[in-house]
Amino acid sequence: MATAPIVIPENDPRNPVPFPLPRLAGPDQVPDHVPEALIRSTNMLFNPEFLADPYAYFSGMHEKLPPIYYDVGRMGNAWNLTKHEDAFFALRHGEYFSSASSTPFPRDPSDYFYFLPIEIDPPMHRKYRAIVDPLVNPQAVLKWEERIRKLSNDLIDAVIAKGECEFTEDFARPLPVCVFLDLMGLPQDMRDQFVTWVVQLLKNFDPAQMIPTMKIIGDYLKSAIEDKRKNPDEGMISRIVHAAPNGEPLSDKEIFGFVFFVFIAGIDTVYATLNNIWYWLARNPDRRHEMMADPDNINAQVEELLRVFSVTFSGRILKQDLELRGVQMKAGDRLTSILPACNYDPEVFPEPRKIDFHRPRKPILAFAGGVHSCMGAHLARLEIKIGLQEWLKRIPEFSVKPGAEIKYPPSAVVGPEPLPLVW
Amino acid sequence: MPLVTYVDHDGTRHEVEVEVGDNVMRGAVNNGVEGIVGECSGGLACATCHCYVAADWADVAGTPTSDDERDMLESAAAEVRPTSRLSCQIEVTAELDGLVVELPERQY
Repeated sequence: MATAPIVIPENDPRNPVPFPLPRLAGPDQVPDHVPEALIRSTNMLFNPEFLADPYAYFSGMHEKLPPIYYDVGRMGNAWNLTKHEDAFFALRHGEYFSSASSTPFPRDPSDYFYFLPIEIDPPMHRKYRAIVDPLVNPQAVLKWEERIRKLSNDLIDAVIAKGECEFTEDFARPLPVCVFLDLMGLPQDMRDQFVTWVVQLLKNFDPAQMIPTMKIIGDYLKSAIEDKRKNPDEGMISRIVHAAPNGEPLSDKEIFGFVFFVFIAGIDTVYATLNNIWYWLARNPDRRHEMMADPDNINAQVEELLRVFSVTFSGRILKQDLELRGVQMKAGDRLTSILPACNYDPEVFPEPRKIDFHRPRKPILAFAGGVHSCMGAHLARLEIKIGLQEWLKRIPEFSVKPGAEIKYPPSAVVGPEPLPLVW
Repeated sequence: MPLVTYVDHDGTRHEVEVEVGDNVMRGAVNNGVEGIVGECSGGLACATCHCYVAADWADVAGTPTSDDERDMLESAAAEVRPTSRLSCQIEVTAELDGLVVELPERQY
């Protein structure tokens, strides 16, 4: 492997250029400085042991693997971090860890754009966060409470008499996606279409097959952006289109990359979390009853469920050489924080597998951390909370449909589906 | 608008007018006071908006308002003192005009 110093370019959001370093993948592309003893090939998202019970796998990583190891496989070679402390370090130290090129979505090199703000490092990312924070901060999301409650009940109304449902299609997807479309200012009648597109993108790991979907979504969003240019409204797309931080409007590429990123991020994450939680609730009537008997503790219940059922990962690339926990890493190395595993770190959460609704509150990594921590975190928390409240009020007793075999499909967003429930 | 003074660890003072109903964390983040991070944007989900309420203001603003805030303060990177607060939990009111908060050396 080349030993010349590697320089990670500072991304200029107004002049997006393809990331210069290739993604290493596979055992013949391991840099020389990676010690043999730290190389693993977990094949995580596809490994049958993982897919049989991802959360047992995540919690078991602390016993079975070194806290930092170099994972080699078709998803790309990267240092994997499973310690809560290390993940927070990586997320909070932009001087070492760049989020440039941190998303896996392929783009046309001749018409390149960055996903914003995720692919821009501090302090420049702040400009973008400031545009949308007023729509998604903890106070702002409260205005959606009644809408979420009504929607939850409408969805329950549609299935309650039947005594069964497919939870993904009937509740977990429509609830967050409908709210998200309103927040964005996108039409509700496109809901199923949007979901199909995003699922195609996220459940398909072959870049060649992602490209046509990227194009379809991109074309749609370009027309939506044009529409908001002419017809401003209160939604997030319009706000991005018309934003002028320090008096300077965003460029077309900034607007496009920002809207595209928010679109992908908003469609597929909450549903996976809801599916994980309801799958657990369906199998644990005692814990369900415990939650219902303690309604004032709902916020702590949501936080603890988010801790044990985190659904995603966070990628970074090293800008400069660094020794972490005795492991020597070099500029250009990629890292993945296994956030769901970090939330089972016994040093931070004693008896980590125990779901304890009275744990002292500590920072969890469900929404990552640092300057790029999830913009939608507070909306997600509110949706989960209200979804739980309304569902448990009206369908307190339910279980997995007898005979149904629940599976986790390989996905960068971890959740079981389909999830047939009966009551 | 009420005036809030943020005193950096090195003694630099930032005087910021913050709207009633907003919170002390947001007053800092929106006005370039870098000693407060506020990475979870005010959801009691991190401890990166830690501040020390100045002695003169301790009676009105120096005590955490919830157990969650008390728990989360234990995750603060800098020393926790009797008037430590998470500044996202200090809502600005007319009565807090003149509030002074001191900022810790680091937030993580």
